[in-house]
Amino acid sequence: MLDYQQLLFIHRYALRDITRSYKKLWVISTTLFISLLLLSLTFSVKHSLSNEIEANSKELLGGDIQISSGIEPLQGLILEQLSELGQISETVSLATMLSKKGDTSVFVDLRAVDGNYPLYGEMKTIPANAGQELLHDAKRPTVLINENIQNQLRLNIADEVVIMGQDFVVGGVIASVPDLAQSAVFGEFAIINKDQFDEFNIGSRDSFLKHDYRLKLNQTEDDGKQIELIKSIVESDKNINTRLPKDSGQSLRRIIDNFSNFLNLVSVSAMIIAGIGISNTLLSFVNQRNISIAVKKSLGFSSNIIQLIYFYEILLILIFTSILAYCIGVMSPLLANDLIPKSFDIDLQTSFSFISYLNIFFIGLLVVLIFSIPSLYSISAIKAVALFRNTFQPVSLHFSAKNIFYLTLLVVVLVGYFVFQTEQQFFTLLYFMAFVVTIFIFYGVSRLLISLLKRSFDFSSNSYKIAYRNIVAKKSLAPIMTISLGIGLTLLLTLSFVANNLKHEISQSIPSMAPDMFFVSINKGEKDDLESFIKSIDPNVELEFSPMASASFVALNGTPIEEIVSGDNRSSWIVRGDRRISWLEKPNQDNLIVRGEWWEPGIQDQMFVSMDSRAAFDLGMKLNDKITLNILGRDVIGTVKNFRKVDYRDISINFAIIINEAFATKLPYEYIGTLKSELSADTIQSKVIGKFPNISAIKIDRILSKVGEVLNKIFIAVTGISLIVIVIGLIVIVSAVMVQTTFRRYNNLIYKILGVNFPTILKAMTLEFAIIYLTLIIFALTVAMMGSYFVVENILLLSWSFDPSLTLWIVFSTAAVSFLLILIANRNIFNPKVYPLIRNE
Amino acid sequence: MNAAIQFNDVSLTYGPETDLVKVLNSISFSVNDDEIVSIVGPSGSGKTSIIMLAAGLERATQGSIKIHGQEITGVKENELSDIRRKNIGIVFQSFYLIPNLTALENVLLSLEANQKYNLDSEAKSLLDEFGLSHRINHLPSELSGGEQQRVAIARALINRPKIILADEPTGNLDSANSNTMIDLLFDYSRKSKTSLVLVTHNNPLAERCDRIIELKDGKIA
Ligand SMILES: Nc1ncnc2c1ncn2[C@@H]1O[C@H](COP(=O)(O)OP(=O)(O)OP(=O)(O)O)[C@@H](O)[C@H]1O
Ligand SMILES: [Mg+2]
Repeated sequence: MLDYQQLLFIHRYALRDITRSYKKLWVISTTLFISLLLLSLTFSVKHSLSNEIEANSKELLGGDIQISSGIEPLQGLILEQLSELGQISETVSLATMLSKKGDTSVFVDLRAVDGNYPLYGEMKTIPANAGQELLHDAKRPTVLINENIQNQLRLNIADEVVIMGQDFVVGGVIASVPDLAQSAVFGEFAIINKDQFDEFNIGSRDSFLKHDYRLKLNQTEDDGKQIELIKSIVESDKNINTRLPKDSGQSLRRIIDNFSNFLNLVSVSAMIIAGIGISNTLLSFVNQRNISIAVKKSLGFSSNIIQLIYFYEILLILIFTSILAYCIGVMSPLLANDLIPKSFDIDLQTSFSFISYLNIFFIGLLVVLIFSIPSLYSISAIKAVALFRNTFQPVSLHFSAKNIFYLTLLVVVLVGYFVFQTEQQFFTLLYFMAFVVTIFIFYGVSRLLISLLKRSFDFSSNSYKIAYRNIVAKKSLAPIMTISLGIGLTLLLTLSFVANNLKHEISQSIPSMAPDMFFVSINKGEKDDLESFIKSIDPNVELEFSPMASASFVALNGTPIEEIVSGDNRSSWIVRGDRRISWLEKPNQDNLIVRGEWWEPGIQDQMFVSMDSRAAFDLGMKLNDKITLNILGRDVIGTVKNFRKVDYRDISINFAIIINEAFATKLPYEYIGTLKSELSADTIQSKVIGKFPNISAIKIDRILSKVGEVLNKIFIAVTGISLIVIVIGLIVIVSAVMVQTTFRRYNNLIYKILGVNFPTILKAMTLEFAIIYLTLIIFALTVAMMGSYFVVENILLLSWSFDPSLTLWIVFSTAAVSFLLILIANRNIFNPKVYPLIRNE
Repeated sequence: MNAAIQFNDVSLTYGPETDLVKVLNSISFSVNDDEIVSIVGPSGSGKTSIIMLAAGLERATQGSIKIHGQEITGVKENELSDIRRKNIGIVFQSFYLIPNLTALENVLLSLEANQKYNLDSEAKSLLDEFGLSHRINHLPSELSGGEQQRVAIARALINRPKIILADEPTGNLDSANSNTMIDLLFDYSRKSKTSLVLVTHNNPLAERCDRIIELKDGKIA
């Protein structure tokens, strides 16, 4: 074992060495720094976002508890009981049309709130007192709109708008609401006064109202007890759901988790490629210092001590870069505050924590250990006898049984450590495995290239000969370039392919299949009028109506559905809250029946159910299962008769649950309609809204362009992030090239002496690059195509398509940048100064 | 008188059975602990090989080698390092100073290898003795060949080794520098009664030694 004096010596020696030769270690520092920074940014932003959500969970929910009674308001008796426990704020939400008077309309998420809103946090408006005015002193019917509505309808304060045939005046613009309603942030969102809502009977004709009651508990009593009490009060009614602050912001949390998982994986990939660079740099570092190492050995230093010195140097670099990366990472939430849209009203805090630093340091340490062991152990292969013979053989990576054992152990610890930190453990593990497999594929590819070239060498051109020699040389660039660039490119290509397929879907496939417009909230009586009205505008219109009622999925074969379906089930949306169901007497040609048969028409006293086949599979349903639906407060048990394949992409009217018409005619219902027309959607929309103020007409292109916008942003973020992996790969390659320059310069000098001219050498380099790049790109493309095909077809359930121009663009721009960098890194081999070389060699 | 180095029937061969290179062929000799011995012989006769064996940097194919009575053939790598550290100082033909350490640091490194720390004054006074007091904080690249070799010798002597092995220490130096170097080594050896084994091609130099061992084709002539 080492004593204190020896440790002190190692410390001093390493410190001195590092200050005198830091230039040779810049690659280790930069690549480590970039990948640690990425990791630290991810951790910090995620951490402070989760903290922010945690700290504001009551604001996000809007109260200490939220009670939702769905379409019907709460009974007076229950309300009375609740009001004894605290302050209640009642909200009714619905989706409807808001039109600028005599002009265009938008489909908005409308909320009617009472004077107690909001119980926690505050609603920010322009002008600042608009909220106050609306809820307490509104003399005329007033509405507050968000910026999206304002921009689309070009509305000003005090302009007149129409909602459900009733005139309203714009009282102000909503900047943010404490509960971060999705439509408030991304969509069209408006608030009116609950009293006016009741007064003008706004909700009377809409069957898809949502009544929510939020409660701010009296401070006097134990919260937990009160919440139990509330739950027991509303327990008897199956239509009533309760939510607590800890359940708030779920979708936000999920988005943050998923995105940070993705970022984590990218940072680890970056880290591993940086590790490859570390390994390569260290090996050449050892080889450059083989004389010094041999001298140390001749003086009686053991290999262990020498290895420790170098390892300690890397540790110092790691400590330094990780502290720097951590500090920048910790400050990053301040930057994020500027990037997050104002409507979120989020103010992220920075918080230093030693534990989070250790987290980053530990991951860095594992990566550094894994990649420095094979390089540093090569020190044991340097022998002091070389000093007598003046010959120094370059050493290569050292893999002994002991090494391999340590490496395996460390890799397992790294992967395990990472997997345990993430929510999506299975996918993280899968990603690691795919990543390791890809590394081996690319290593294999480089070896394959070398062995193929060795076998098929029969070209006579000088450039080819030189390129060939460079590739098959022991210190060839091929393996390093193939691995580090190959992995980055695979990642970039895979992500771009997936994103591109999604964009293609949104911008082309869906619009060609989908209708131009939806109509919702069509009353039974209005349907025929609407149909003939639209046909009078455009006789060639394609118009389709379906009846629709609201129902919720309560139980399957008598077991409450919550016990069967967990939150992360792909089809859990089917059982969450109210669903629209429809009915048919004969099967629809669009929806292929994959299992079971359609029902006998005309049976009135039994309910039959046709299910979306994917949902049925995800929920584990079988034919003839009994499903319980709650339709308008009444539990109805039906028999599952068949499964349909539903393609939701065509956005024509698709329902996950369809029941038999004979049974359904007893139910109250309304219609939903779709339209495809040669005329402009705007014209039809404004005409329909003018004639039928209660009907909502939603333009599809608006929805699609909104989705497209979001996708575009995600695409940019994702490719930008995967570019970091490529950048690190390039740094690794450039460093590998620079390490080689002495060796290459010497070769080029010899070629020069042999009479090979500059253009030939340049041509040789280009050829060498082209051969290596071509090989790696073929494999990167293959892996990326397979990977993205799997994701697109099996996870996103779309049909995969290939975009040659995007591919060519990525392939060529990466090639150009890499080649340029390699040329720059190589610049001094082109004019080898003859004399210093002759003196040295 | 004790033998500092004792070779008994030592043979050294390289390579496989089919392509065997016999470098040393059953050599026996000993060097006393205050003796200065030179090894001479034509190129390729095995001089350097003897030094490497004596330093424990190469293993004999056959025979026994003792350093101050201690057998070193068949001893483990780590123990060999210990024996070497405690007993032997080596001077190479190429000086092999560590390029990013100053003259002083190069000398100190030898002490540090023996876990002797904070002995700067001792190293400084030795460098001073060697006429390098004004050069102690310079890097090897800023020193002349002669100065570099003096630093190298200081590095070999700072541990007060009982045996000094020098393989053509003057091979890269002019005659004036060579003489200074040899004087330094001889002085040290005489003063501290240390054995010195010197490989050289220089006949007058060999003549100055107590004894000459002449090699020819891997045998003592
Ligand atoms: N690893 C090896 N494999 C095969 N033969 C070797 C090896 N090392 C040394 N030799 C051979 O051993 C012989 C002796 O080498 P050695 O270096 O001891 O000679 P030398 O007497 O020091 O020569 P010089 O005066 O030229 O330095 C040489 O013929 C050499 O070719
Ligand atoms: Mg020799």
